[in-house]
Amino acid sequence: MRNRVVFYLNGVRKEAGPREASMMLAEYLRYDQCLTGTKIVCAEGDCGACSVLRLFPHAEGTDAGNYVPVNSCITLVAQLDGSSLVTVDALKNKNELHETQKAMVQCHGSQCGFCTPGFVVALTGMVEEKLSRNESTIDVQEAKNCMTGNLCRCTGYQPIINAALSIDLKNCESVKERYYSEKQDAELTKIFSESLMMESDEFTFFAPKTLNEAIDYLKLYPDTKIIGSGTDLGVVHNKRKATLTNLLSLHLITSLYGIEQKGNEITLGARVTHTEFRHFMKDKLPEFSSYLDIFASPQIKNIGTIIGNIANASPIGDTPPVFLALQASVITTGPQGKREIPIEKFFLAYRKTALQHGELITHIKFNLPEKNTTLRFYKYSNRKDLDISAVNVAIRVNWKDENKKEIKEIIFAAGGVAATPFRFLKTEELLKKNLDIEAAVKEMHKEISPISDLRASSAYRHVLLENYIRKFFAEVV
Amino acid sequence: MSLPHDYAHTHVTGESEFIDDRPMMKNELHCDVFFSSRAHALIKRVDFTEALKMPGVVQIFTGHDFAHNLWGAIFRDQPILATDKVNYAGEGIAIIVAETREAAQRAKYKIIIEYTDLEAVMTIDEAKKTQSFIIPARKIERGDVDHIMKEAPHKLQGKIVIQGADHFYLESQASIAYPLEDGQIEIHSSSQHPTETQHVVAHALGLPDKDVVCVVKRMGGGFGGKESQAAPFAAMAALAATKLKRPVRICLTKDDDMIMTGKRNPFENEYKVGFDQEGRILSLDVSLFSDAGAYADLSTSIMERAMLHSDNAYFIPHMRVTGQVCRTNHHSHTAFRGFGGPKGVATIEKVIEEIAHFLKKDPIEVRKINLYSDEGNRNLTHYGQIVKNNVLHKLITELETSADYKKRRLEIETFNQSGEDTIRGISLTPVKFGISFTTRFLNQGNALVIVHNDGTLQISTGATEMGQGVNARISEMVTSEFGLPRDAARVMPTRTDKNANTSPTAASSGTDINGAAALLASRKIKKRLSELALKLLEIPKEKWASKTAGLGTQAEVELDDPHLNENDPNKAADWASGCATYFDIQFKEGWVFHPDHLDKKIEFKYLVLEAYLNRISLSDYAFYKIPGIEFNKMTGQGDAFLYFTMGTACTEVSLDKCTGEVKVLRTDILMDLGRPVNEDLDIWQVSGAYIQGLGWVTTENLFYNDQGLLLSHAPSTYKIPSIQDTPREFNIRLLVNDENYANVRGTKAVGEPPLLLAISAWTAINDALKQLPHYKGAFPEVRIPATSENVLRAIMPERFTAWE
Repeated sequence: MRNRVVFYLNGVRKEAGPREASMMLAEYLRYDQCLTGTKIVCAEGDCGACSVLRLFPHAEGTDAGNYVPVNSCITLVAQLDGSSLVTVDALKNKNELHETQKAMVQCHGSQCGFCTPGFVVALTGMVEEKLSRNESTIDVQEAKNCMTGNLCRCTGYQPIINAALSIDLKNCESVKERYYSEKQDAELTKIFSESLMMESDEFTFFAPKTLNEAIDYLKLYPDTKIIGSGTDLGVVHNKRKATLTNLLSLHLITSLYGIEQKGNEITLGARVTHTEFRHFMKDKLPEFSSYLDIFASPQIKNIGTIIGNIANASPIGDTPPVFLALQASVITTGPQGKREIPIEKFFLAYRKTALQHGELITHIKFNLPEKNTTLRFYKYSNRKDLDISAVNVAIRVNWKDENKKEIKEIIFAAGGVAATPFRFLKTEELLKKNLDIEAAVKEMHKEISPISDLRASSAYRHVLLENYIRKFFAEVV
Repeated sequence: MSLPHDYAHTHVTGESEFIDDRPMMKNELHCDVFFSSRAHALIKRVDFTEALKMPGVVQIFTGHDFAHNLWGAIFRDQPILATDKVNYAGEGIAIIVAETREAAQRAKYKIIIEYTDLEAVMTIDEAKKTQSFIIPARKIERGDVDHIMKEAPHKLQGKIVIQGADHFYLESQASIAYPLEDGQIEIHSSSQHPTETQHVVAHALGLPDKDVVCVVKRMGGGFGGKESQAAPFAAMAALAATKLKRPVRICLTKDDDMIMTGKRNPFENEYKVGFDQEGRILSLDVSLFSDAGAYADLSTSIMERAMLHSDNAYFIPHMRVTGQVCRTNHHSHTAFRGFGGPKGVATIEKVIEEIAHFLKKDPIEVRKINLYSDEGNRNLTHYGQIVKNNVLHKLITELETSADYKKRRLEIETFNQSGEDTIRGISLTPVKFGISFTTRFLNQGNALVIVHNDGTLQISTGATEMGQGVNARISEMVTSEFGLPRDAARVMPTRTDKNANTSPTAASSGTDINGAAALLASRKIKKRLSELALKLLEIPKEKWASKTAGLGTQAEVELDDPHLNENDPNKAADWASGCATYFDIQFKEGWVFHPDHLDKKIEFKYLVLEAYLNRISLSDYAFYKIPGIEFNKMTGQGDAFLYFTMGTACTEVSLDKCTGEVKVLRTDILMDLGRPVNEDLDIWQVSGAYIQGLGWVTTENLFYNDQGLLLSHAPSTYKIPSIQDTPREFNIRLLVNDENYANVRGTKAVGEPPLLLAISAWTAINDALKQLPHYKGAFPEVRIPATSENVLRAIMPERFTAWE
């Protein structure tokens, strides 16, 4: 059993004990390692100034072998166990700027310079991805997409977009080639084979190799928090609303990585990131994949897990309505053994789930929709990209036949309208009987009384829902 | 191609140092602010006992610990830390000093406080009702407004509601105070106004100014938010540092920064307008009301600029504008790029839109007919300044053509009939922005230029660098004067012990004032070097000081005319190159020569060495004041500005009929920036300002609770534009204008004016909405910002009424 977190930072092996491991990576870099290139602005993963590159060799899927940008401000050093990191400070090679840096200089992509390191990291992440796929061009949309997680207040972004487009991939040095050696890979593989337990007065962190160890541990220490990617816990910690003291991480459990498909059935593990899932679903359920385009930022998607979004049980989470529409099952394991909970029974009250004490989610499972099914997902947020939903909607209709006149089955779910991700059972019943939109709209309004808050007024939520359901039927019928 | 920003190459590597990047000293402490959660209340009891027991907490200070607890940019009316009474939610009450940042932050939650709530004024309406004003209303008036209004063929009246906006500089307020020997203190601050920061700290601590130095290397964005507001936070750190004799760092979290600091002033403006059948404005009566928040800060000045910009680009023969600054229980609002300008301009642009809608004309025609013009005596502003060098008409007609305005308008009208999921609108608006501080005494600056022995330069001015590139421009001007590449000079951090009594880097005037001063200082050195070069022509090389000074065999070269007393940076300068020439001596590409003696040219660095050895000063200091500012604040008349920066933008938007979401499809901008020192820096100032303005008029929504505590206090809830919100097509061009003789080297200020061009996005939203059938008669009422919710309410008001 290890008692130190092990990772590589700019090519150098680092070990972290409880003191360093309990720090947010951005703080560790800035105040412990004197690498102040990485900036902290929002401390909530919403501006990208803290972006660093992370290669996590143990995951499955497309990006497992690449350096991808993640937010260092909401990621505990402990969570980087087994990772290889490169920060902005290390991109310059001797006296030569990296091509992304040169482009930013030449195209005036930097003004005050505070967001700049984050943009450079995001851009370099895209270049790494392109190099790994042997692609030779960057288009405008790709440029914008890779920097959606970065805010700039000076430039108006246009010169940054120009910088991205000016990069000649042929001239780009691969960060991976420069920093990720075979020796490093071997070392990270080795440390990954061993459980990790570290303890101090202030910070306990356990990362077992097996689920059984995890469950046994939870039995002994029921107050332990399970940390997935920590994109939510990190924020809570930074805003001083809680202290992260007793944590259990599942990052060493190999069986939780990866997505499986058996016929129509898809099962994904607790450690599957949004990025990985999005890639996987691209040709299987493009509606889901493109819905994830406007989910959070690339940095969050690169580390945040799908199951974290479910376990979080936020009423404005983006994926719960979708999984409701897909009739997914949440697979848990705990002292009582394995359970399979239909997702509509999973969300009990505001941020309260059907998970029992000592239980944890290992997988989520759902079937791809069959023939004569129409699926639509809608999301409204105050800013189209990198924003939390005010209202999101998932509608799935199984038609009796190809004429799409009669509904066999319908699921109509939404976030942002109730204390939990919500299913409109009465409206569904009505629509099943009779495809009368006016009556359905009336019933739909009756089923909810949404709150007014900083994202939307109650009235706006009502109107949005009505507009979405009308839009759905106008589009599909 | 223009040179990049002078520190771009270290920005991209993360080497550029910001306040919190400074290495932590071993004994350094951290400071965090405990603030009010109430709008208006007496502090009944504060109990620090539990907070002081928290691990790492060293000390807690309150306003009572200051020698003087009041500060203010114009009126000294604001406590640094509230003592007996709080006047807004977010007002600082105490500072917690601790060994770590986290310890200070966590201790904050342990402070127990009890309030006795008082009646609070939360809106402009409530302020009007209770007569809660900062100063009496001001008025600027010309002509016979009431009579002409009465006689006018058409009249309209209305109101515009304009919300504030957060600066969202990426680097939140930050300062470190280092206590020095003998009671001195050195402050490193992220401040646009080092002089004021120095003065506020000195006054707060009861120190003479000589014992306080404020240093500003750079800011991670300012936008006006660090003009006045940096000072109180510096004072807090300085207090703790002096009391504890240890360095103290204050770096606010984004959340606390947004909650505590003031924003762009909200305005609610009312207007009455009389016009003729062609849309010509005959008479205009505007009443501006701003929300200052709890204290004066710069709000009265901001109001003044709003009043001076209520004409925007239009000649209004009879005009009355009144300005009333309301005192409310909100955070104290402050400067934000454009100052009052955007609020005055948005108002008159709405008036224009309404006139056009009423007359069923294309708004661009109404704009053109009302533009300031040299013809027919239509070039005098309501405050009595002549609009010179007027390119407004040229800008509008050129952009109308290059943006294909007419064709696109027709296409949009057709598109909107087609029953798509979106509707579109297009609008072209101009801006005429007055350049200078309207307060005369602020229009002064000074600079120190040092030429070192090896021929490299250091420049120090009162200007502060916040990304806008003021230092790049200044060093380009100075080095070109000496015929050197830009990297021969370094602009040093702004320090109050080098440049004192400076004005804030604000009002877009950073380069105008400090660049002129630096150029004047350079010329003093250049003149001496020129005379020396001339004299050296007569002396055989072997007798030059570099060969003989050690021996003392030769007489020193004496200059006959070593002084230069000049306040005009364009005087003695060649208009084409912008450089001055003395004694016919030329400075080019590192060489100095007389055109008649090209065989005797000397390298700049050797000339410098000769100057040193001949005891000729290689450093100089210059003072510059902007001439001709004669604005009488009592009468509201006079030349308020040195010149105007003008521009125009054409924006096309698409509105989603399902959600109200706004997408900018295309923006074309044409600006007159005179003759830029660095064209690319200027163009990307335009781009940045436009997008910042776009946030203000669309997605940026300040959401408060009933106590005025800001709830949208982080990027998760306060949405500035993201990279995906940039126009799908974005064209920025500059008009060639070589005729701004008023300003240094024929340049024009760029910082603020293009922000106002984003108003075209808001008028384009209105343009789209007014094409909906239910706006045949009335004009849509959409506030700034036109958030999706506000837009959808305007698209389908009836669907909302059911749920109100």
